[in-house]
Amino acid sequence: MSIKQQFREGLFTNNPITVQQIGMCATMAITTSLFNGIGMGISVLIILTCCNVVIAAIHKIIPNEIRLAIFVVVIAGFVTMVDLILKAYIPALSKSLGVFIPLIVVNCIIIGRAEAFSQKNSIGPSFWDGIFNGLGYTMILFFMCVIREFLGKGAFGGGLIDISNGFRFTMDGTGAGIQIFNSDFGAKILTSPVGGFITLGTIIGAMQYFLKKSDDKKKRKALEAAAAAEAAPVKEVAE
Amino acid sequence: MKNQTLRLSLILLLVAAITAGILGVINYFTAPIIAQRNLESTMESYAAVLPADSYEDVEYTGDDPTITKICKAADGSGWVFETSFSGAQGMINMVIGVSSEYKCIGISIISHSETSGLGAVAAEQSEKGEAFRNQFIGVDETAALQKNGGDIVQISGATITSNAITTEVDLCITVAKTLG
Repeated sequence: MSIKQQFREGLFTNNPITVQQIGMCATMAITTSLFNGIGMGISVLIILTCCNVVIAAIHKIIPNEIRLAIFVVVIAGFVTMVDLILKAYIPALSKSLGVFIPLIVVNCIIIGRAEAFSQKNSIGPSFWDGIFNGLGYTMILFFMCVIREFLGKGAFGGGLIDISNGFRFTMDGTGAGIQIFNSDFGAKILTSPVGGFITLGTIIGAMQYFLKKSDDKKKRKALEAAAAAEAAPVKEVAE
Repeated sequence: MKNQTLRLSLILLLVAAITAGILGVINYFTAPIIAQRNLESTMESYAAVLPADSYEDVEYTGDDPTITKICKAADGSGWVFETSFSGAQGMINMVIGVSSEYKCIGISIISHSETSGLGAVAAEQSEKGEAFRNQFIGVDETAALQKNGGDIVQISGATITSNAITTEVDLCITVAKTLG
């Protein structure tokens, strides 16, 4: 599978959230501000890629019977590493993500890709699989954050953007975001977990719709090409 | 069969040992930084409610589980209470300053998991958040929400959070009176 194909799969046709539909729990709780969403997405991307590479490297030498136990040890190791590093260097992110960072250990995406891909492939493809699945995950988190923040609070970029002195990104989570309309007019239900469910369902539906449309378009083009190929020899004979 | 089990256990032990070793090294480097950050943020929240040059620990002999630490300002201007109590969605960790006249002089929320836009407003650095927190400056242990007959205006849609905070402030002032 080429890298371009893996890119398309990880982000669109086999997106972990909208197509594989795994690892969805955290998305609903995390996506209340852009800082949390992007922070979580990047953490998962890093952990997923590291785990994929390590598991691809050792899968030939570990016995099949204890395979899952070893996967969990590796995943827990990397998550703890990221947890300690975040607590020390980006404490604001560690505080707002809170218990969801240790919960990455049981995030289905990581163990799912380990079982489905990295234990059957070599390091190179596994590395790209981790990167692209991580990017697909972050992309969906980004959309969810934007929708929930905008419709729920009338803001964009909570915690990440600060416009008080010109535009800048705040890596320590203190930026207040851009208030597009007064937060009193927002649909408060969207900032609660119920809103998370609804937004997630809508995004899955929307992506499935676009995937199907693009799929139908490809099928139609293939049929037309086949029909044209059949018609061409007949035309030659007629002339 | 026994050899097989032994072999598998040893491999698992080896993987776990290597992982633990790597984590031990990382912890060695990050633990002091984390401890420093925790100390800084605690001191910041103390200074926000009761500015003082130094604080002394005070032993708490009561049995209320929500009060985790009490410190006295060295210059006698009052006490700082570190508290941990239930909000609407989880535990709220809050620092409360009580003056030597047994009035609240400020509250500062260290951590919480309240709903964004509702209970979380109490901790926000926004106009609404500051307006809510400033209501507690100067109250005594009889402070209560408006709907309970008092003067504190709750955060709209966040009664449980507002009530929990008010109750905790009352509690700390009451305890401060017993500390003399």
